[in-house]
Amino acid sequence: ERGGNNSFTHEALTLKYKLDNQFELVFVVGFQKILTLTYVDKLIDDVHKEFRDKYRNEFQQKGTLGLLNGTFDFKEDFLRLLRDAEESSRVRAPTVMKTFEQSLKSQKTVKCMIETRGEKPKEKVKNKKNKGPKKEGTEAVAAPGKASAGDKQPPAAGDKEELTKDEILQKNREEFFRRHKKAGEKSSKSPKPEAQKEKGKKPRVWDLGNSNAKVLDYSNSATNGSAEAAPAEEFDRDTALGDRNREPGRLYDLEYESDDEAEEEKVTQNPSKPSAKKGGGLGGMFGMLKGLVGSKSLTREDMDPVLEKMKDHLIAKNVAAEIAVQLCESVAKKLEGKVMGTFTTVTSTVKQALQEALVQILQPQRRVDVLRDVLEAQRHRRPYVVTFCGVNGVGKSTNLAKISFWLIENGFSVLIAACDTFRAGAVEQLRTHTRRLNALHPPDSHGGRTMVQLYEKGYGKDAAGIAMEAISYARNQGFDVVLVDTAGRMQDNAPLMTALAKLIAVNTPDLVLFVGEALVGNEAVDQLVKFNKALADHSMAQTPRLIDGIVLTKFDTIDDKVGAAISMTYITSKPIVFVGTGQTYCDLRSLNAKAVVAALMKA
Amino acid sequence: AMAGGLEPHLEALRRELLASDPTVLSVLLALLAVVITFLIWRFVQARRSSRKAVLLLGLCDAGKTLLFARLLTGKYRDTQTSITDSSAVYRASNDKSASVTLIDLPGHESLRLQFLERFKAAARAIVFVVDSVAFQREVKDVAEFLYQVLVDSTVLKNAPALLIACNKQDVTMAKSAKLIQQQLEKELNTLRVTRSAAPTSLDGSSTGAPAQLGKKGKDFDFSQLPMKVEFVECSARGSKGEEGDADFEGLEKWLAKIA
Repeated sequence: ERGGNNSFTHEALTLKYKLDNQFELVFVVGFQKILTLTYVDKLIDDVHKEFRDKYRNEFQQKGTLGLLNGTFDFKEDFLRLLRDAEESSRVRAPTVMKTFEQSLKSQKTVKCMIETRGEKPKEKVKNKKNKGPKKEGTEAVAAPGKASAGDKQPPAAGDKEELTKDEILQKNREEFFRRHKKAGEKSSKSPKPEAQKEKGKKPRVWDLGNSNAKVLDYSNSATNGSAEAAPAEEFDRDTALGDRNREPGRLYDLEYESDDEAEEEKVTQNPSKPSAKKGGGLGGMFGMLKGLVGSKSLTREDMDPVLEKMKDHLIAKNVAAEIAVQLCESVAKKLEGKVMGTFTTVTSTVKQALQEALVQILQPQRRVDVLRDVLEAQRHRRPYVVTFCGVNGVGKSTNLAKISFWLIENGFSVLIAACDTFRAGAVEQLRTHTRRLNALHPPDSHGGRTMVQLYEKGYGKDAAGIAMEAISYARNQGFDVVLVDTAGRMQDNAPLMTALAKLIAVNTPDLVLFVGEALVGNEAVDQLVKFNKALADHSMAQTPRLIDGIVLTKFDTIDDKVGAAISMTYITSKPIVFVGTGQTYCDLRSLNAKAVVAALMKA
Repeated sequence: AMAGGLEPHLEALRRELLASDPTVLSVLLALLAVVITFLIWRFVQARRSSRKAVLLLGLCDAGKTLLFARLLTGKYRDTQTSITDSSAVYRASNDKSASVTLIDLPGHESLRLQFLERFKAAARAIVFVVDSVAFQREVKDVAEFLYQVLVDSTVLKNAPALLIACNKQDVTMAKSAKLIQQQLEKELNTLRVTRSAAPTSLDGSSTGAPAQLGKKGKDFDFSQLPMKVEFVECSARGSKGEEGDADFEGLEKWLAKIA
């Protein structure tokens, strides 16, 4: 699904590829990255054309067995093409410099080239030169008044200019003197105020310098040092709170026009083309039939309007803009030249391909199965450590509580590490959750074990240190899972990102979950890229620990604008592990890729 | 007698049609043409979708494409990671001359489910190819994919025969089929617990609770599945490498049985 750009770099090699969608062939050229070979694109095109033409019959008639059985002896052809390409890039006769007469400049009159501007006589005095190469000396000396400038310009032969050289020199000299006179006037003005100042050095008088400290003390002696006694100001509650009806947490209201249901059938546009060419009514009718039934291969022009519409549709569904563009680009590359089946329109083909690409994006790599991994860690007698990171206010603590509830339901004991030592009330929030969870799952029903415990060290301490202590505490006490809650931080805040990277690098958690809200739009791209970059930069290890999974929160606040899921998985290629759909403990879901894509493609 | 009975009917029909308006006649003819086309189309589709396919599934690099090539042509080919499916008709070597369509699906994680969706309805049998050499490392991934295949609703409904082909037996470190069976059973036992305990999917998916694999109380066993499962050892490369033949008599026999 990332087929937008056609080159790939790995270590010292660069690979360029070309797809033939009609016969389902891939042509790959590899070369060393340091060489900049200009003929690669041409070579790959030539190879493609020749290979296709040579073996066209075998592809069309014999199908898969033909591919398996056939011998494709292309080596000599390829070597020949390679040689041709190399030669064509090498042979380029050094271009003969045009003589000055041939160039356009000689046709222009000098007068029109001189820009006479009032203040800045920086015109390029282009006299005609009798030299071959254009470079030398065409830039005429700009500074006027340099007598030597005039001397440098050799006498031009065959000139058509109307101003002779001397006249130009004269003009420049006048300009020069005029300017210098002005400067002289300025300089004559300046000595005067200076003379006044020279009288005597008087001490500087600061406005408040002489008054003593008492006058400077503005602090109110009554409230000094007492933190609780806030001055009882009269403030208007309504203006402070703003619009009460505004939903808290809502980022913005999307202004979008509803997509019009009427799909322009691309088929009707097809007959307009051949009929325009043939210009006959009968030709038009057959053209339409041919478009419907025959084997028509897709071209870029056919697909562009449809892709535009799909791109706008995706953006309207809250997919980040650059990702929508790249997606459409890769779909176009995948479909270009493909032969459409009977009774299929361009729109339906493109939609089908886009749907497949979206499903593919949402099911990346290995599925993260937390329970399975926890069992594995249990076997090795060590706790399974999960770290939650994300920007401010996305729901890390809430979803941490939901996940710990789910783990307790499955019989694992959880230690919550309160590594958010910055936000006011973070530790209290986790303490309340712990209390509630223990009330829901009392120790008696689990064989005397407390299922949830909070490990906290108050506020203001180093988060990485608390995490390390929590993990060793869990190992000693035999907890199965450690959930580490970190403070929310903006991706641009370099010191905080360094602190987070240090936490993760030092403690090497088993799972690093990035918590992102479903409401986010283009920001998702920026957040994830910067988080990953910070984690990669500050890690000492050979293979840095990056984000392993995504938790998509506040999913109940969007109805079908589910584009954030696509943006996030596209950027990281990591799966969405959990989806948060509310604020109670049971509002934890797993992602259903097909349902999300269906909601996304729905008009 | 039938022809005689039909004749007067046809005559009456003809007379009636000729008597009526020509437009009605043309409309009737058009309708008839449409109905016939529709029936033919349905028939063709039904024939096409009858289950005649044998799917080759497995992880990346298990040897599916090479097995595919060997079964069809007997020759060794250098293969690349598949990015799309390949299908061809395979004729079993015995004289029954029944044919099945072999379909080789890509094993890559982001592609495998998509292609499985496309072809699972047409599957009469499934060959799950396992890399016996890398099995110890990959056992969790193998089990996960196998689990996904087994709990799929279409697969449960059709219950195609399942053959687990332990490939790459020519390498000395390859694990035996028995060992692979035991390990898979253990892993699937754990998986069915963890997977059924996973959070329910978004908007309460229509399938309800995920299907339970095997019997609840007992440990998982391949005999508990609704379909026939067999284990066979094979080597697509063959003991003599590229020149010789592949050793997969067990596989060929099984395919002949299926066809």
